[in-house]
Order: sequence, then structure tokens, then C-alpha cells
Amino acid sequence: MVKRKARPVKDVHVAALSLRPVNRPDRKHAANPVHDSRPDVDLISGFLNRGGGLRAATRAVAEADSTGGLLAVLWLDIDRFRQINESFGHAAGDRVIVRLAERLRLSLSSDCTLLRMGSDEFVALIPAVNLQDASGIGQRVLAEIERPLAIDELLMHPSASLGLAVHQSGEDALSLLERADRAMVEAKSRGGKCLVASGDEPVAGRHGVQLARDELAIEADLHRALESGCLALEYQPLVGFDGRVEAIEALIRCDLPEQRLMPGKFIPVAEKTGLIVRLGEWSLLQGALYAARLRDEGVPTKVAINVSRAQLTSASFSPALQAALICANLAPALIELEFTESLFLDLSETVQANLRSVRAAGVGIAIDDFGHGYSCLANLKDLPANKIKLDRSFIRVLPDDRRAYAVVKAMALLGRELGMTVVAEGVETAAQQAAVEQASVDAVQGYFHARPMTEETMLDWLRARA
Amino acid sequence: MSDNPPGRQRPLDELLERTIRDIDIPPRPTIIDRICHEMRREQPDLQYVGQQISADVSLAAGLIKTANSPYFGCHSRCRSVREALLMLGLDATSRAIAAISLRQAFPGSAHYERFWQASAQIAALSGWLAQTVRKPALRADDAYTYGLFRDCGIVILLRRFPAYMQTLGRANRETERAFTDVEGEALPTNHSLVGCLMARNWWLPEEISLAIRNHHDRDAIDHFESGLPAASRYLVAVSQTAEHILQEVTGASHTEEWKKLGPSCRRLLGLDDAALANLYYDGAAVIKSNA
Repeated sequence: MVKRKARPVKDVHVAALSLRPVNRPDRKHAANPVHDSRPDVDLISGFLNRGGGLRAATRAVAEADSTGGLLAVLWLDIDRFRQINESFGHAAGDRVIVRLAERLRLSLSSDCTLLRMGSDEFVALIPAVNLQDASGIGQRVLAEIERPLAIDELLMHPSASLGLAVHQSGEDALSLLERADRAMVEAKSRGGKCLVASGDEPVAGRHGVQLARDELAIEADLHRALESGCLALEYQPLVGFDGRVEAIEALIRCDLPEQRLMPGKFIPVAEKTGLIVRLGEWSLLQGALYAARLRDEGVPTKVAINVSRAQLTSASFSPALQAALICANLAPALIELEFTESLFLDLSETVQANLRSVRAAGVGIAIDDFGHGYSCLANLKDLPANKIKLDRSFIRVLPDDRRAYAVVKAMALLGRELGMTVVAEGVETAAQQAAVEQASVDAVQGYFHARPMTEETMLDWLRARA
Repeated sequence: MSDNPPGRQRPLDELLERTIRDIDIPPRPTIIDRICHEMRREQPDLQYVGQQISADVSLAAGLIKTANSPYFGCHSRCRSVREALLMLGLDATSRAIAAISLRQAFPGSAHYERFWQASAQIAALSGWLAQTVRKPALRADDAYTYGLFRDCGIVILLRRFPAYMQTLGRANRETERAFTDVEGEALPTNHSLVGCLMARNWWLPEEISLAIRNHHDRDAIDHFESGLPAASRYLVAVSQTAEHILQEVTGASHTEEWKKLGPSCRRLLGLDDAALANLYYDGAAVIKSNA
């Protein structure tokens, strides 16, 4: 899960500080916070503070340049420290800093210089090591940090993200620190608990920073939406050629007071942050409750709900599905779950057990976006699905593209032979409708029949057809 | 499931079908939706919300009573819905209304009178404990609301599956395995998950919903890295301790949960033997005042 703190753009942030060279501070003093009142020293960790640290880094770089010696920089950021501070208060947070600073100090040799660059960020200047040795030292630091830590009555299992950069000839201190920082940010984006060396991370310029900020804003919006009733489901029907409504697909909407967040924007962020599981469970319950309402209104209709990879790989998926059915008091046959094909190919025990339990419960299974990416027709015979939804990329080019038509026709035939209902997604024109009908597809979904509708509009639409 | 697929209902089943239809989770009170709607506006109209609440006399009386309870943090006494709204704010008002509406939301809840009485006592004790142990991120009003909602999944399952009563008995007597594991032998789900879904459907804060979902999970209470927010872990711990105090003082609400979860809860709340003994003594007064 990528949980970056909102940070100022680093180059501006660092460059704003004065870089007046001073004598290298005495490490013995720097490690003893209790009696140290010098302005260069951070009183919590006992390390050099940002100002003192930058001066020390400048000095170390100058030394390395003049002697041709090696210098490595490790940038360490404690994972989830904001959560510790917010949950247990800053006093507890300070105690964590003291203990982890001590571990960092003990895992490095005495010729290293240690800096505290921010509330939960430390830097180690390590002289006379190359990239390989510095990586080994970094891994040792990671292991040391990850030992269980008891603070008051809490047993924590801390972890850190580490960025590593080795000084290049002629490079100034700020550039070196910035490379280590960028590598640390990349380590954080990989889920933390790891070390990334500068050069291994993708180039993260201002565009990358802006993207990260946008994602943070969307994540905050999603949290707000989940707790203030800004989420809703809309429904789009799947209609058979005999006019029967095969099912209605639930599509999640997020309407904030100031704007509608588009699914294309918030779903990827939800997937990255793990919020997709909560969104998925919410959709399951709302979809089941709506299916129960339709049944009670005399227009019983199957509701199709999308399931994400994160949900299906969770051991709580099956109990959560059953809980939703029980809460809605709904027959499983009135729910259908849509999975992408790749999920069926996940052979992990949890996924396979979840698929088995969905099938055993009598809930319908549809393969969504079939044909998108690397689909394999041969797999179809083994998939526990009763419906295939052909990807819109095949339909969009109909009726002109005869090769696409041939594929659609073949898949319709194969699906039918395997006892599956075949649905064409994204049907928008009468010509596309005619083409998929000719190709023997069973049902269609798309703007040609109906756009997604709110619950009330959908109910009226179904009543009008009953 | 005892429901039938569309178009296949037999006439014989219709009466049963209609009966069963009445047993889904209670719908969210519409007033909560109206409050959420106002919360989303730049300038919420408190007068409008007040009018909506006042239209239901029992709800209005319940809100004033709740606002004046020690757990909702009003420092001066509220005498009207308007005052309660101003003191609590829309956020806490929404939770207070959820708490007031919960019991009434279950038709035929008189069948479960003892259950609701125990829930009310646990809620009151939880609110009091939250104020007593004073932990970061732990709010007394949340503890009170959580105490009421924590086991609502039990009522939903009892209404849905009559045989669940026997499962409940077995789970209550289980001294080793988790309560939800025992439920899992008889049902495809458990009351914690059902209660969590209900709480989310009523737009309760996620910390409360997650605490409901994990309140029988010792690992989630014990381990910081379980991913359960600290507020949720504290909620689980205070409410479990509240239940234990209720058992000690009154002999009611018998389960074996304290044997399984008690050490974790005590560790999290920092309760040694002397502190716990004091809580029994002081808790008795809280129980008496809420009887």
C-alpha cells in the first residue's frame, strides 16, 4: 500500500536551507541527547538536526571529492510513523524515535555520521564504502529496525523504507541527499520494509510528485465518501435478444459535494491503497439489498457485482459474501459476481477456495472483459463460470471488422457449447446490435439499450418492461 | 438460503416467503441520510435537521437524553433538540441517532429483551471505561455506540436461523477457540462480519465497524501490525472489559471471552489486578445507575 506523507517538493525544501560549512561534529556528543544543548543537535534522537546535518554532509562530500574517497548516504523513513503519532500521541512517538535511533546507531560503525532530517526520517553518512557494501549495511539496518519493539503496553513491529545513494565525483551534497531521498520514496511506494538504491527507481520528477499528491487527495476523498454517504451504485441492464433482462450490473459512483469522482480515477487508487476491499464489500451489500428490493417490488432481477483481485485473495471474501446475502435475506441465485479472466488463473489456495465456495453457494459467476489482454480459449472449459462477457474492444469495431466479427462468432459458439450465456459489452449502435445478434450472442449491454441508472430509475425501467 | 430464484416460487412457499422477507437487516433510519446530506453541504442547515428530528417525539427525547449522558461530552445540560445539535455537532448526532434507533429498528425486538438490556449495560460501561482509562484516539461516545452495536449481528442471525441459538450456546461455552470459529462450523459467516456490514450500512465510523468485525480476534487486539486502527483495538478492549465487569458484578451475560481475550485487553489498557478490582467497584455504581 502506498501511503506517502504529503511532502513538499524535496529540491525546493532542501535548497532553502543555508549550507554554511562547519567543523564535523563529535559523534560521541551527537549520540548523547541528554546533556547536549548545541543548536546542531536534535534533542530526541541525539543525532545532528537538519541544519547541522546538511553542514556535515557538505563537509563529508568535500572531503570525499578532495581525497577521492567513497561516501554513501542511507536515507531512512520509518513506515507508518504518522499512524503511531496519531494513535498514541507524540510522547509515544518520541519514545519510538529514541529507541529506533539507538538501533540505527548500534547497527552502524562509529565513523558514520547520523542526521535526523524530519520527524521520522534519518540519514546516515557512511564513509569509505561502495554501493555493494553500503547495500549490505542497509539490509543490516533494516533487520535491526524490524525487531519487535515494546513501548508501554504495546508490542510494535516497526519497519522502515531505505534509500541509498553513493557519491559521484563532483556531485554536491544536496544532489546526493536528493538521490537518496528519491530512492527512499521509491522504497516506500513499493510497500516499505525494503531498500532501493538510487538508479533503481524510475525517474520521479515533478510530474511524479504531482501524481502522488493527486492520489493522496483521491484517497482522502474516498475515505470521506465511505463515511458520509457519498457512494452509490448505478445499474445498467444486460438484455437478451428475446427482450428478457438477463441481469443488471452494479456500477459504483462517488459523488462528492464538489465533484463526481470518476471510477477511472478512484478505482486504481482504491486498488493501490487497499480501500478496494472495503468498496467491494460495500458494493456487495448494497447490490444484495437492491436485489432484495427488486424481488419485493415484484420485478426479481439478478444483480451483477464486480469483484476485485484484492477481495478474492482475502480469506474473508466468502464469509463477507455470505454475510451480505444474509443481511439482505437474498437467494444466492439473484446475485452474480463478475471476475476478470486472470483471477480464475490465480492458483493460490485462497483464491481457489473462494471460487469453490462461490460456486457451492449457488451464486452466478461471469467472466468480465473476456478477450481483453491474454485470454485463452482453452481455459474456458475449466472455468467455473456460467456467463462470458465479451470485451468491448471486439464490439467497438463491429460491423466493419470482419476478423473481429469472426472472433465474436467463434466465442459465442464456444460459450454456448460450454453451457455459458454469452454477452456483448459496449453495444452502442443498432449496427453493432445487429452484428452481435447475427453472431449468435445471447445478450447485450451498452448505451444502445440503456445507460447506467439510479436505483429509482432502474426500478421504473424494470417495471415498465414487466 | 430459503429464498427461491425468480419465477420459480411455488404457491406453497409464498406465505413463508413473505415472512422471511421481513427478516433482513434493519434499513438505515432516513434521518441519518438527511444528516449525512447536510454534513456534505458547505453550510449545513442545523435548523432543518432539528425540525426533522423534532418531528419524531421519541427520537427527539432520546437525542436530548443521549446528549446529556456522560459519554457524549456535553458540559452543560441540553434542554432542546437544537441545543443537543449545537453541542454534539452533526457527526456525533448521527451516531447518537443510530444508537437510539438500533433497538427499535428490529421488529419484534421484545423477544430479545435480555440481549438488549445487556447491550445497554455494556455500552454504558464501555463509555464510562473509555473516560476512565483515557487512551489516545479512544472516544467515550464511540465506545458507547460501539457497545450497543457490537453484537447486533447476533440478533440478525437469530432472526434468520433459529438453530443459531444452539451455535451461540456452544460459542459462549468455548474456552479455547475463537467465538467466530465455532460459529463458522455451523454457518457460512459469523455475527462479527454481519454486524460490521450493518454498521457500515448505517454509516458508522470505520473504526467502529472494524472493531465490530474483529472483536473476537485476539491477534488483532495484540498486534499493532494487524492493521486494525488503534481506536478500534481500544474499543474492542474497553467493551470486552465492560462485559467482564458486568459478569463479575451481576453474574449476567455469561461467556468465556474474558479467558481468551482478557489478558490482551488488560495489556492494551494497562490494567493490573488492583486497577481491575477498582473497576469492579466503580463499575457496580455505573451498572446500578443504568439499571
